[in-house]
Amino acid sequence: MDLLKALNISSSGMKAQGERMRIISENLANKDSVGRTADDDPYRRKTVSFSNELDRELGARLVSVDKIVEDGSAFGEKFDPNHPAANADGYVKTPNVNALVEVMDMKETQRSYQANLGVIDASKKMIMQTLEILR
Amino acid sequence: MSLQDIPLFAALTERMKWLTSRQKVLSQNIANADTPNYEARDLKPLKFKDMVAHPDNMKVTIASTNKSHMQLERGSESDFVNKKVKKPYEVSPTGNGVVLEEQMMSLAETQIQYQMTTTLYKKHLNMLKTALGRQ
Repeated sequence: MDLLKALNISSSGMKAQGERMRIISENLANKDSVGRTADDDPYRRKTVSFSNELDRELGARLVSVDKIVEDGSAFGEKFDPNHPAANADGYVKTPNVNALVEVMDMKETQRSYQANLGVIDASKKMIMQTLEILR
Repeated sequence: MSLQDIPLFAALTERMKWLTSRQKVLSQNIANADTPNYEARDLKPLKFKDMVAHPDNMKVTIASTNKSHMQLERGSESDFVNKKVKKPYEVSPTGNGVVLEEQMMSLAETQIQYQMTTTLYKKHLNMLKTALGRQ
């Protein structure tokens, strides 16, 4: 039945968005994770990309997390000569995480999740309406 | 006599099939709302004329011109024409052509039409019951 398939497709979308949320929370949690010594790199931001794959059993295109890659952009620098990870000039490398970008990403994830939830709600209502015919 | 022999019930069932297929396609679009290079899809509108004139000819099957031809079992694939939306309102920089607002609108539309179809089905069923003398 197509409506049950719709539920499956939406749940795959929600799973993918959930994984994206996990990565975002990882980034935000490690916003201040710097290295121990001057040679150590601080935390590097991760990004998620999605891909759609044809599920032959369902005959539909489900979403899955394609790959999780590291963001190659430059690290920030903070002047803190007393820090154990400070280099000769007194600068500490900070992670390339921008909290604002992460929060915006989080909002987008939230909205996409909500949209999938809306579809599940709608499909469920349609199934219930079909069952109502039996009454 | 089965209910499917009554043209009205056959038409309503066909309509419900089309709406559930559409729900599946829409949920696929919404699940893939953040997938790069995904283009939105939709079903070809169901024409009242085709539905009433030849309810049985809606399905496209492969013609068997020889006795040894086997009829291809289409399995879970949908009977309705599913095509990419030619001119999407907006394509994101990642090549995604799903506009969430548009999809939500189609979803609501599908839901309302489904409700209408099931209500009509119920009403006609009640009419038959009245004819049978059961109130």
